[in-house]
Amino acid sequence: MRNILTREQAVLEAGRCLYCYDAPCEKACPSAVPVPEFIRSITTGNLKGAMEIITEANPMIDICGELCPAFCQDVCTRTQINSPIRIRELHRYVTGNADMAENLEVPAAKGGKVAIIGGGPAGLACARELRLKGYSPYVYEKDKPGGIPMQEVSSGRLPEDRAGRETGFINDNFVSGVIDEDVDSAQELLKSYDAVFVSAGLAEERDLGIPGESLKGVYKAREILRDIKNGVRSKAGKRIGVIGGGNVAVETAAALKAEDPSRDVEIIYRRGMKEIKAFADEIEEANELGVTFQFMSIPKEIKGGGRVEGILLTRAHLGEPDASGRRRPQPVPGSDFTIPLDTIVVAVGQQADKAFPGISRKADGLIDTGEDMMTNIKGIFAGGDIVRGASTIVECASDGKSAALKIAKFIEGGVMNV
Amino acid sequence: MYKKKDISVDFLGIHLENPFILSAAPPTDELEIVADGLKAGWAGAILKTTSVENNPVGLKYPMMSSFGPQARKVTGLGNIDLISQYHIDDIEKRVRILKEAFPDKMIGASIMGSKKEDWQGLVRRLKKAGVDLIECSFSCPQGSMGEAPGRMLAQSIEATEKVAGWVKEAAGDTPVLIKITPQVTDIVEVAQAVKRGGADGITASNTIPSLMGIDIDTFQPYPSLRGKGTYSGLSGPAILPLTLRTIAEVASNVDITISGNGGAYSWRDVVQIMALGAGNVQFCTLPMAYGFRTIEDLKSGLAHYLSDKGFASPMDIIGKALPNLKQHDELPSPYTRAELADEKCIGCGLCFNSCRDGGHRAIDWDGDGRRPRIDEERCVGCAMCMQVCPVDAIRMKEREDDWTSYFVIGR
Repeated sequence: MRNILTREQAVLEAGRCLYCYDAPCEKACPSAVPVPEFIRSITTGNLKGAMEIITEANPMIDICGELCPAFCQDVCTRTQINSPIRIRELHRYVTGNADMAENLEVPAAKGGKVAIIGGGPAGLACARELRLKGYSPYVYEKDKPGGIPMQEVSSGRLPEDRAGRETGFINDNFVSGVIDEDVDSAQELLKSYDAVFVSAGLAEERDLGIPGESLKGVYKAREILRDIKNGVRSKAGKRIGVIGGGNVAVETAAALKAEDPSRDVEIIYRRGMKEIKAFADEIEEANELGVTFQFMSIPKEIKGGGRVEGILLTRAHLGEPDASGRRRPQPVPGSDFTIPLDTIVVAVGQQADKAFPGISRKADGLIDTGEDMMTNIKGIFAGGDIVRGASTIVECASDGKSAALKIAKFIEGGVMNV
Repeated sequence: MYKKKDISVDFLGIHLENPFILSAAPPTDELEIVADGLKAGWAGAILKTTSVENNPVGLKYPMMSSFGPQARKVTGLGNIDLISQYHIDDIEKRVRILKEAFPDKMIGASIMGSKKEDWQGLVRRLKKAGVDLIECSFSCPQGSMGEAPGRMLAQSIEATEKVAGWVKEAAGDTPVLIKITPQVTDIVEVAQAVKRGGADGITASNTIPSLMGIDIDTFQPYPSLRGKGTYSGLSGPAILPLTLRTIAEVASNVDITISGNGGAYSWRDVVQIMALGAGNVQFCTLPMAYGFRTIEDLKSGLAHYLSDKGFASPMDIIGKALPNLKQHDELPSPYTRAELADEKCIGCGLCFNSCRDGGHRAIDWDGDGRRPRIDEERCVGCAMCMQVCPVDAIRMKEREDDWTSYFVIGR
């Protein structure tokens, strides 16, 4: 866990803030946290005020304090003078030192029930905003509330007490009921609710699509993360290859190395360091732990007889940019090589499953919504990863917030006949 | 989603939604701008000082200059501004428009005149327009239209009493504030003169006459207008201690309502100004530097402070600090020594350096370990080391056999 700034450090850092007008940091934040305002409150010693500013804008304040990629810092005006304000650390200084439940005022429920499918950041954020508007949100969640941050993100990156405090705060104050049931049909729920918000996340992990994937010793990344999070010692062995270049790949590698530092953990990625999609601070943390990187390597076949014994790779060079704007890896002929491994973890992305029949999907399997965040079925809204694809907590929380506004409008009759 | 504490105050019979007022200055010199300020949440405004038609106002630009420890951070703001270029006809109209648009806000106006009929004429017209409060500028440092041109009205005891009397006579039941200057031999005499004149309160105080600086390449004063410069009125955080002293002296010696003005930059400053006896606080430099949005932290910070301390209303803190204010010869004589918190010390050596050359040589320096060592025998407890410590690792303590207490030095 990262240290929280001392008062002296926080006040000095906050004093560097220029207090920009029309601040780029605030505009870059998916949850539109009024960054200069809360930093100003730090400089005046108004910690409770700072807490209120952050919490009103962002329902996931503790989790974001630890895990947010801090888009705000990338655009900080101060960078043009020397270095950006450490906004996330100031955020964490505030949230780590103030009580978000103090002075809380929740309006009386005025009728209007909403079913929320999935209690992750998008679902909980939506629940909170709906409750603040006087509606009663019911969350369908079979697992621990809090979604991926609570179920999969390793406690090294997100200490339980920090995340638990926040999800508990939302559950206790804003959720009218948690229903421990699977939902087969969102349409069915419309019979007993005024609206439904689907925020079930991405249930499936993609395969590599190469021979040998069914061998013993091949795992999916989120399965490993869940094990580690639940305190079950993961099945992984001593020489581990994690395949992929996203945040999940880097995080899984880091968690495996942290769980047992005597393991060799290597991230195997098709492209170069420049193309890697994981956030810089995650890569830095993995590096610190001793995770190594095998760049420019395309997996061809997982080798082994019954159990994994190694992986056959081909060297890549980078060709023309693909649809994502990153240069496409192309195999270098005659460059095959094998690395001996006893475990392979596949972390090449997630996809939506086929749940919720009748709700229309796009070609990539993600739910199709309009500007109003409503699906093809009137009264059923969707947001979070199941609409965006794998994304950040702050983006999902922002979806939940926006969806609550649209749902409230819908219930009030604003878009009933659209 | 959070409860908002009521921080309203009553000031001279006027209900203010919070104690934060825009002072007579550039932010209150244009109708549209002052309206924006009121919309943003300021509880009231005193329109920039106006006068009668036959007094031309020749503003000169550039007008502003500043100094601060960090580049372009305004610690002290200087201006060579004068009173408003809008005369009473415009101000009268604006009072009407603003009162109609903001019936719950305090709309005050600041005036300046020379002859009795000027002062009283201005008051009567403003009163007719529905003004809530009249402030009289007796202390514009950039020249005055008082009895002795070039001199502030409030620097003459007789003139202060006389003009305060003229204004109050015309104002009747409309409250009158007299805006004074600390640039006098005895501020208490001035405050007493205001009271004798019959005014309802004192605005304490104003910008402080200053010289903002000299360009060392050209020997031109700041701000330099084709090479020539003049004295500025200084405002901003730099003058807060001067304002505190002015308010404290008035409040300790004269029973009169005070509106605090000069150097307030945060809710903490507001608490201090009110604790010394002010009933509300006026702002100018803060919104000029960072905009009307600064009202948000003022409101939120004050509300949380009051709740945390168990005060029901901002009015409960008025004058709270006055009983603790003494003359030097009445102060106790504690036995105080510096104490170092070793775990906080970062080894910069500034305390050692300052004590060595600052007169007491009570700190030793362990160069290998980079740590100061305080010698309690030689330490007199002056607290200079504490002022230079960048990490608050030094405190001043007093210790008897069975108790230890620490002194509050300020920051």
